[in-house]
Amino acid sequence: MTKRTTPTRAILGSVAALALCAGAAQAQMVFTPGEGGFNWDSLEAFGAEHDLSGQTLSIFGPWRGDDQALVETVLAYFKEATGANVSYASSETYEQQIVIDTEAGSPPNIAILPQPGLIQDLVSKGFVEPLGEETADWLRENYAAGESWVSLGSYEGPDGSEALYAFPYKIDVKSLVFYVPENFEDAGYEVPETMEELKALTEQIAEEGETPWCIGLGSGGATGWPATDWVEDMMLRVQPPEVYDQWVTNEIPFNDPKVIEAIDEFGWFAKNDDFVNGGTGAVATTDFRESPDGLFASPPQCYMHHQASFIPTFFPEGTEMGIDADFFYMPAYEGKDLGQPVLGAGTLAFITKDSDAARAFIEFLKTPIAHEIWMAQSGFLTPYKDADAELYGSPTLKKMGEILLDATTFRFDASDLMPGAVGAGSFWTGMVDYVGGKSAEDVAGAIQKSWDANK
Amino acid sequence: MEGMAGQKSHLTWAVHISVALLVALWLFPTVGLLVSSFRTAEQISNSGWWSAFSAQKGQLPAIRISGDERQEDGLYVIDGNLFGTAETTLSAWGTSSREPEAYEPDTEVELKDGWVLGVASSGDFRLSAPQSFEGERLPRVFATATTPPEFTLENYGNVLFGTTAGAGVGQAFLNTLTVSIPATVIPILVAAFAAYALAWMEFPGRALLIAAVVALLVVPLQLALIPLLQLHNTIGIGKGYLGVWLAHTGFGLPLAIYLLRNYMVGLPKDIIENARVDGASDFQIFTKIVLPLSFPALASFAIFQFLWTWNDLLVALVFLGTDDDRLVLTARLVNLMGSRGGQWEILATSAFVSIVVPLVVFFAMQKYLVRGLLAGSVK
Amino acid sequence: MHPALQAVLTIVIGLGGCIGYFWFSNQLFDKVLFPARGPNIGRNIRRAEMIRPWLFLFPAIFALGLYLAYPVVATFWLSLTDRDQGGAFVGLANYQQMLREAKFWEAIRNNMLWLVVVPAASTAFGLLAAQLTDRISWGNIAKSLIFMPMAISFVGASVIWKLVYDFRPIGQEQIGILNAFWVWLGGEPQTWLTITPWNNFLLMVVLIWIQTGFAMVILGAALRGIPEETVEAAIVDGANPFQIFFKIKVPQIRSTIVVVWTTITLVVLKIFDIVLAMTNGQWQTQVLANYMYDKLFRAFDWGVGSAAAMVIMLLVSPILVWNVINARREMR
Repeated sequence: MTKRTTPTRAILGSVAALALCAGAAQAQMVFTPGEGGFNWDSLEAFGAEHDLSGQTLSIFGPWRGDDQALVETVLAYFKEATGANVSYASSETYEQQIVIDTEAGSPPNIAILPQPGLIQDLVSKGFVEPLGEETADWLRENYAAGESWVSLGSYEGPDGSEALYAFPYKIDVKSLVFYVPENFEDAGYEVPETMEELKALTEQIAEEGETPWCIGLGSGGATGWPATDWVEDMMLRVQPPEVYDQWVTNEIPFNDPKVIEAIDEFGWFAKNDDFVNGGTGAVATTDFRESPDGLFASPPQCYMHHQASFIPTFFPEGTEMGIDADFFYMPAYEGKDLGQPVLGAGTLAFITKDSDAARAFIEFLKTPIAHEIWMAQSGFLTPYKDADAELYGSPTLKKMGEILLDATTFRFDASDLMPGAVGAGSFWTGMVDYVGGKSAEDVAGAIQKSWDANK
Repeated sequence: MEGMAGQKSHLTWAVHISVALLVALWLFPTVGLLVSSFRTAEQISNSGWWSAFSAQKGQLPAIRISGDERQEDGLYVIDGNLFGTAETTLSAWGTSSREPEAYEPDTEVELKDGWVLGVASSGDFRLSAPQSFEGERLPRVFATATTPPEFTLENYGNVLFGTTAGAGVGQAFLNTLTVSIPATVIPILVAAFAAYALAWMEFPGRALLIAAVVALLVVPLQLALIPLLQLHNTIGIGKGYLGVWLAHTGFGLPLAIYLLRNYMVGLPKDIIENARVDGASDFQIFTKIVLPLSFPALASFAIFQFLWTWNDLLVALVFLGTDDDRLVLTARLVNLMGSRGGQWEILATSAFVSIVVPLVVFFAMQKYLVRGLLAGSVK
Repeated sequence: MHPALQAVLTIVIGLGGCIGYFWFSNQLFDKVLFPARGPNIGRNIRRAEMIRPWLFLFPAIFALGLYLAYPVVATFWLSLTDRDQGGAFVGLANYQQMLREAKFWEAIRNNMLWLVVVPAASTAFGLLAAQLTDRISWGNIAKSLIFMPMAISFVGASVIWKLVYDFRPIGQEQIGILNAFWVWLGGEPQTWLTITPWNNFLLMVVLIWIQTGFAMVILGAALRGIPEETVEAAIVDGANPFQIFFKIKVPQIRSTIVVVWTTITLVVLKIFDIVLAMTNGQWQTQVLANYMYDKLFRAFDWGVGSAAAMVIMLLVSPILVWNVINARREMR
């Protein structure tokens, strides 16, 4: 039962409407148990095993605003099944907040973060509880490409031995290019199938006097991160995945020619005034949330936008995915024979203060229902094989899920895997400098220097 | 005394004009934000706020035809109006992003499959086809139109009542007050006693203490966060209002002592000496003479400290925590900005919501503020 | 319990405790321990005189010590240890590492620029505004409006100014007033915040905008405190208004100007929110406080972060010395 009524929606904007849903979600559950194709049995079985009445569970995560409303719909079922009192909190500066809280000794029960690099820091300081071999086995068995998820959640503990500490939950696909199908039709463009075609299309659009790309790196204190996604995507398209892994662990230095090649591949798009909306100078200052607006302007200010699967949240109000806007897979070079690499990111849940409720929450994430509730709404992809793909809330999500399944190579966002000083510091700022006119060699050299300083 | 302006009338005019200019310069940025907070996202990104009051001619983003189809003379028809408001006037339109101004108003154009679309200058459209539109993607219309100035309260509705993340702004408002009031009053009390001691009592080490207070004025807050939260957790205060109050007290004290001491030193010496001769103790002198005399300074610091605690984000986040029911106003607004960062209308509105109370406090109490500052630094 | 009720209760307890402490301790002093009567009256008064200042100062010293001095000491220690909290002692290695970083020197350079420009400009504008608004009928309204930015948080101020500096590509209508004005003059739209070194000044404008009101109010008060005879004498001597202002008035309020300058300097040393929100130190706009924040919370390098904090503390020492000298002079 939902309180999503049409008149409300019409009167208030979509923000308010979503918010109303959130308000409703807190009070009750968005999908009535027993109805729809959901795996309600898993919820019931889970509830029968875990009675946590009177206990409280504090969760700290990265999701704010609309996303917070969504995660709370999932938590409502946990609450209902166990009787536990769940409080979810987040903060604009959640990375700093979690460090302050753990260092000072007042951590939440469960923390959820999108940066494995940061989790590694916390683990090595002894702030995180291991999840146990049993959970690792479960991931191997039940997640598609399970081994890679286990290794993503495994870190070196304070004693130096590696173990599973974090549980991957909710992933994003990053190798996507968004566009407006009708603008493509009006101009007679085809969706490119290979990187060669994509580059040709870029040149063609520019020759016709139009602007092919909208690129915006602005993100307040995190300015620069969208460029790291670009570079990572290009890295997977010019080098085999093994090189990518070496890059992430700094086995090859950041200023290795292979990395510089990938940076310059990004530069091919971003450092050409004719290829980006507003010219190269605008790339670094345009806010990433504002950047896609150019797709929908009249006349169009650009035709393509590279971004992760979450970006439709920031499209203009009323934009309907699949009709007003769509996306295609950021293609690979036909000539390089590197298959279909996909770049992704995701969030991992881990225990920062052990309790029965915290353990139960990790068990809850193993139930299909914990995935299905979010899937059936928006912005959620999962590699969990038992979660019913038919439940994806929209054809768009399903299509993203398919890209994930078609991937011959899946790699996690490199900047999230690198140490914080690099992946959330010099890599970001370096990309801003690069777009600002510095050479790839200079920038990569500076990033490597900061990595050395961090060792 | 006549000031420099009073003597020559042409200079008076120059003064008036320069002041007006200065005020305009200072006011401009804020006014821009205020105006923006009453505009829709579309308006903000299409034209500068200074043109909000005049009619706008420009290309609107693509509008997709929508409506219920009905049958009419063997044709399937959808009609309606492109615009929400009546006053919008269309001057050209098109259906392709490449030729958005292809057609004049009041013309009919044939599209694919025998579809015929006509758009009038009022924005009324009529789309007809020999077969049903069922399952078809309806065309987009690119309109060049003149829109009258339009203002909306929707942004405020969204920010104030769209409870995106649990508890609403009302709760946050209350939380902020709960933080601000004690965090303003406690440091004043503590600082007043200290300032009196530093101003009027003789004891060894006084100069050193005064210097220390000044030195502590520059301690970067970020440094103190973790050691202090650690301390709070160890002694059992944990995260909560008590912790925030104490933290604000600590952080606010140097400025309070500095300002109040400066003021108290300037009080007439004879009054205090006379009272001493009459046998009054320092406690009596303080409560009966100095405190009432220092009222303007106390009030001025109260405003400063209130503004600071009201606008504070960092201390509240760290010492109060990020639980929904404890979020202060700034934290809630920043969260809202975090998920909506690119959208000026939300940014502008939240910024305004957050500065309303400080502005009211300031305007209500500025008399004391000016008086207090005046006396505090002029000797 | 309802938070509002809880708040009221705690306010009462907190304030009661505070007032109680001062009242009871002083009563204890005057009535029980050292009564100003009886056989030992002289000794009692002397002893009370000796101890009472500390009675008055104790809560303040306690809070200052715990909340500010202790973190400073802890920070000094951290700046000598490894990157983790509680890491091994490494001597001056953190300082050495910091001195090798280009970003640090950029921050020092910019901070110096800020320290020169912002206090000077705020004081100058404040003085100008104070003098001009002094004698006109709507002076108080003008003062209030100029003071208003003081009431706006740094976050709010950053939003306001981001809108001012906003950039749209050529051909689109500008929504930032600076670019709109620039284009109207015939220029090409600029991404203002990326143009070194001018972007530093654009960030400073924000702080000047905030601090001018503060300077204006204090300086205005000082101007009014000037004895009228000195000005009248100058008028009789035929001085023009500019001479009166610069030769007669300004010298007389020099000490107030110094106070204003100092206070704004202290604010500048800590400036961080504006830079973080608007450029995050990119495009050569780094400042020390933001550099420190970066090290603490991005790189989790407590060693270097603390070392940067110590540098900020060091920069304040001239003001410190000046204040000690001043306080000594006051003590006569």
